[in-house]
Amino acid sequence: MSEQSSSALRDAVVVGGNRIPFGKAGGAYAAASNQAMLTAALDGLVARYGLAGERLGEVAAGAVLKHARDFNLTRESVLGSALAPSTPAYDLQQACGTGLETVIQVANKIRLGQIDSGVAGGVDSASDAPIAVGEGLRKALIKANHARTPMQRVKALAGIRPGDLAPETPRNAEPRTGLSMGEHQARTAKEWGITREAQDELAAASHHNLARAWDEGFFDDLATGFLRLSRDQGLRADTSVDKLATLQPVFGKGEGATMTAGNSTPLSDGAALVLLSSREWAEERRLPALARFVDAEVAAVDYVSGEEGLLMAPAYAVPRLLARQGLTLQDFDYYEIHEAFASTVLATLAAWESEDFCRDRLGLDAPLGSIDRSRLNVNGSSLAAGHPFAATGGRIVATLSKLLHEKGPGSRGLVSICAAGGQGVVAILEGC
Amino acid sequence: MTAPDNSAPDNGSAPDGGQDLDVRLLESAPSVVSVLPQALRPRARAALPTLPRHRYVLADLEQDLARLADYREVTGGVLGDVVPASWLHVLTFPLHVRLMADREFPFPMLGMVHVANVMTQHRPVRAAERLTLTSWVDHLAPHRKGWTVDMVGEIRVGTEVVWEGRSTYLAKADRPATEATPATGATPATEHGRADGHAIPGPEVARWRLPADLGRRYAKVSGDVNPIHLSALSAKAFGFPRAIAHGMWTHARALAAVEPRLPGGYTVEAQWAKPILLPSTVELRGALGAGAGDLAVTSKGGAKLHLSLQVSGR
Repeated sequence: MSEQSSSALRDAVVVGGNRIPFGKAGGAYAAASNQAMLTAALDGLVARYGLAGERLGEVAAGAVLKHARDFNLTRESVLGSALAPSTPAYDLQQACGTGLETVIQVANKIRLGQIDSGVAGGVDSASDAPIAVGEGLRKALIKANHARTPMQRVKALAGIRPGDLAPETPRNAEPRTGLSMGEHQARTAKEWGITREAQDELAAASHHNLARAWDEGFFDDLATGFLRLSRDQGLRADTSVDKLATLQPVFGKGEGATMTAGNSTPLSDGAALVLLSSREWAEERRLPALARFVDAEVAAVDYVSGEEGLLMAPAYAVPRLLARQGLTLQDFDYYEIHEAFASTVLATLAAWESEDFCRDRLGLDAPLGSIDRSRLNVNGSSLAAGHPFAATGGRIVATLSKLLHEKGPGSRGLVSICAAGGQGVVAILEGC
Repeated sequence: MTAPDNSAPDNGSAPDGGQDLDVRLLESAPSVVSVLPQALRPRARAALPTLPRHRYVLADLEQDLARLADYREVTGGVLGDVVPASWLHVLTFPLHVRLMADREFPFPMLGMVHVANVMTQHRPVRAAERLTLTSWVDHLAPHRKGWTVDMVGEIRVGTEVVWEGRSTYLAKADRPATEATPATGATPATEHGRADGHAIPGPEVARWRLPADLGRRYAKVSGDVNPIHLSALSAKAFGFPRAIAHGMWTHARALAAVEPRLPGGYTVEAQWAKPILLPSTVELRGALGAGAGDLAVTSKGGAKLHLSLQVSGR
């Protein structure tokens, strides 16, 4: 989008956000469904901004691990919330990019004048994950369902073999490679020479930053306690590089394996939402505008052939976004790079510093360069908070918007989120 | 339910809210199954029954979130931070059963029919809150089919009363207490299939398909293991052709339908009419929009009334 055409659009601003503290898989939200958590996050948002009974432009959200019965998850959550039932809603899914992609959708509709307000975000439960019946059983049941005579039905059901009865649980693996995300990332970490020490340092900083932010009350107007949880369950305020160094590697094999449970995000449960609107809509309701949505970019890489790492797409999306906006990587006050693994963040930063990568892969004359690490994930990120896949985008956008608002008008923030399927969703926000 | 008629005989009642009754502290929620044999034993027939002069108190109860999640699923709701009034009734139910099992309770539990209920939620109650439950029995009153009696529950958070519930049961007697005295409260005329004064409100807004095992599923989450709900066989032993749905399931399911629009404080009154034989398809009727108003659960087509509900904001 050129400067000229973007100036014809009106601003979309982040009014605020709400999430429930994130739980550990099988932990505080073990009994809660995606719908329960999404509804809780939505009702918290509605209560905070006085939206009970209001019709919003739309609510866009999604979940990565989704039951078949949840085909209309977001709409069902709206109907179970205090929002007016006349508020439309839809589900969107782009793996871990889901939350940020919904923000982009809602922001763009606001900028185009199609809607004045909207809620964006997502939810995921690793505890209440869908378990499907095996392919053999599924096909036999469908056949039996289509049978016209009892005999046909019996025949269809007689085709079920004992082995067909084993359920299929969702696996955190890429369908085309059969490798888990961690195994993919272990390759990337090795390729970029990311050390164990650097990963553990990043992980410790994430915990310490998140703990400080909770202690300082930063999340008081960004989170609502749910069930018995009032802080992120996976947060370890007292962890240290020394403690993290004692953990055994879990991804990558043998000599040189660096990725542990401590420097990889744990499976988690939670929901996070962001309220966006036009400036006028917020002003009419005397609600704040924390940050302006500037622009976004999505990239995808060929990880299937092994040409690029599974989680490296943001390394491609960011330079494209910077070029379009006429910015450099150093023009930001805050960087929010999703910590799928500590090594993902570090490999992405290393790529931007690499002359070879920026020339050969990005076609740039010079590397993007390094960032001021003191501006990175300053209030913690996914390693400490946890990562309920589709909820992460909403958590990051709300956190960054508040940071930018505190920093002041014109301050700038970059969001970068890697996603399964070799995709990366990135965006720029500007403080109001 | 309207205010109980105080002019009716009221033996052993506690008009001041049970405060003058002896307190019996419970360490944990009584197991319904374990007190069942006592509750079922036949009682000596007194010409004029009297009520227990004690109340049970269960202090500082932590709500079981896993059970709450199952309860919400079985009753058509979504697990949230705020719990429905019907769940709080379920928490007090074991205390009611404990009272019914006591020697001083004049009627055998089986054969007692839950005919009406009124609950007041004074403010939203959260799943994380620890609760102090109190239960007692009062308002014994003659009915043309026997006696009615109220099982009363009260829930506090700290010293604040957050919920009150009153379940009116009809204890049938071979020899009615009096032919002439009308029932106290808004006890429905069950044999007419229509609660007094409550017309069936409007067209159907939802259709529910109730499976044959609904009684067993609700028994698991509520602790109400009355055999009339569990299977056709056990129901037949008590004169029902098939298992019947728990009245409080139907109540909870209807309340869940209006829940998103319920005010923070509300009173919900219920009168049961014809039982729902399982499996069954029934219909919800009434206005859901305002979050308050009249609801009814009827048979398909609306010929038979199963439950009338009146929800009012506070």
